[in-house]
Amino acid sequence: MIEISIQKKLTAALGEMLLDINTTINKGSLVTLYGKSGVGKTTILRILAGLLYPDSGKIIVNGDTWLNTTTKINLKPQKRKVGFVFQDYALFPNMNVKENLLFALNKGQNSSIVNHLIEIIELGELQHRKPDTLSGGQKQRVALARALVQKPSILMLDEPLSALDAEIRFKLQQYILAVHKEYNLTTLLISHDISEILRMSDKVLELEHGKIVRQGTPNEVFNHKELNAKFQFTGTIIEIEKQDFLFILTVRIGKDLVKVVADESEGAQLIIGDKILVSSKAFNPIIHKIG
Amino acid sequence: MNILKGTIEKLTVSGSLTLIGIKVNTTDMSAIVIDTPKTAPFLKAGNTITVVFKETEVIIGKGNTDEISLRNKFKGTIELLESKELLSKLTINTNVGKISSIITTNAVKQLKLKLGTAVTAMVKTNEILISE
Repeated sequence: MIEISIQKKLTAALGEMLLDINTTINKGSLVTLYGKSGVGKTTILRILAGLLYPDSGKIIVNGDTWLNTTTKINLKPQKRKVGFVFQDYALFPNMNVKENLLFALNKGQNSSIVNHLIEIIELGELQHRKPDTLSGGQKQRVALARALVQKPSILMLDEPLSALDAEIRFKLQQYILAVHKEYNLTTLLISHDISEILRMSDKVLELEHGKIVRQGTPNEVFNHKELNAKFQFTGTIIEIEKQDFLFILTVRIGKDLVKVVADESEGAQLIIGDKILVSSKAFNPIIHKIG
Repeated sequence: MNILKGTIEKLTVSGSLTLIGIKVNTTDMSAIVIDTPKTAPFLKAGNTITVVFKETEVIIGKGNTDEISLRNKFKGTIELLESKELLSKLTINTNVGKISSIITTNAVKQLKLKLGTAVTAMVKTNEILISE
């Protein structure tokens, strides 16, 4: 379990803001920090990683104190056992994939984990290639593997997938979930993508202006429980056509495009790019076996 | 979307399905869901719930509709009627409030529907969504 109680005065775009976070995160859970830009999400990760020092507070990870401003305990970043993945891959360009991973090993650490990671994240065919010959999604897989080489207690993902297109994102989400389970990681994810959050997280902390304003399961936080529909998906509107009393919405759900009919009063409030929840009774869909 | 407020009158659970008897004003409605009071604790007699159904799922009948299998029937009169080439939109003033329905313009012609016509709006039990 991770116990976090931190306070730090920050200078945000709209003046001063007090970051004041008190929460506990269960070992083995995947928790998403959700909120607008500038509410303190990345700052929380940086404080946990030891890259920033709070004005006051403590961080206790599985019984070990990483930080306690009262007793002046402050573990150095390299002692904190965190793995970090950012949107930017930050791989060494002069090393191939496997060398990048081996370089991340601690002195004297057994290198078998590198092979294990190559296997789980399916980097076998890419392991001898240099980063500049890889696609964005492939680089991010390498960055993910590298963050795990030192077997971190906490894996921190700061919008790691936001530069990638939907299909690659979906695949990477599967890799992240696979390693999260395999290594029983405690994972903190920053994401704005509600469908990603619903798919991946056990818990969501919603932040506003430096404080947690809501927390709970993704369903609780995003109110998706409201309608008891069993057939529901989140998607993004990519096209809106008006016809008679109806709006025909083209919605991207994962990598599929679907069309949904909306009533005038609903359709008039929607614009392209809106995230929507599409619900239907489980009785309606017709299924065909295709494989 | 048609949205009504009602009260749960009766719950009949069988396996993972629940048939919910709902009272909206004085009208009885029924909904079936893949949930039970265990999986959805708000399913409790006496609780207020929101009943939701899509206008494209609302069937319109004229005359006697007693011998029709649909469990959700609202008698009323047509208050608004707008017809386009293929589809028509009706608003029916009923005892549970205004209900919107979208049916084909051919159906409107065949049933000779006009403003003020007495009709019954009907919805199948498995088309009703509910929420807390």
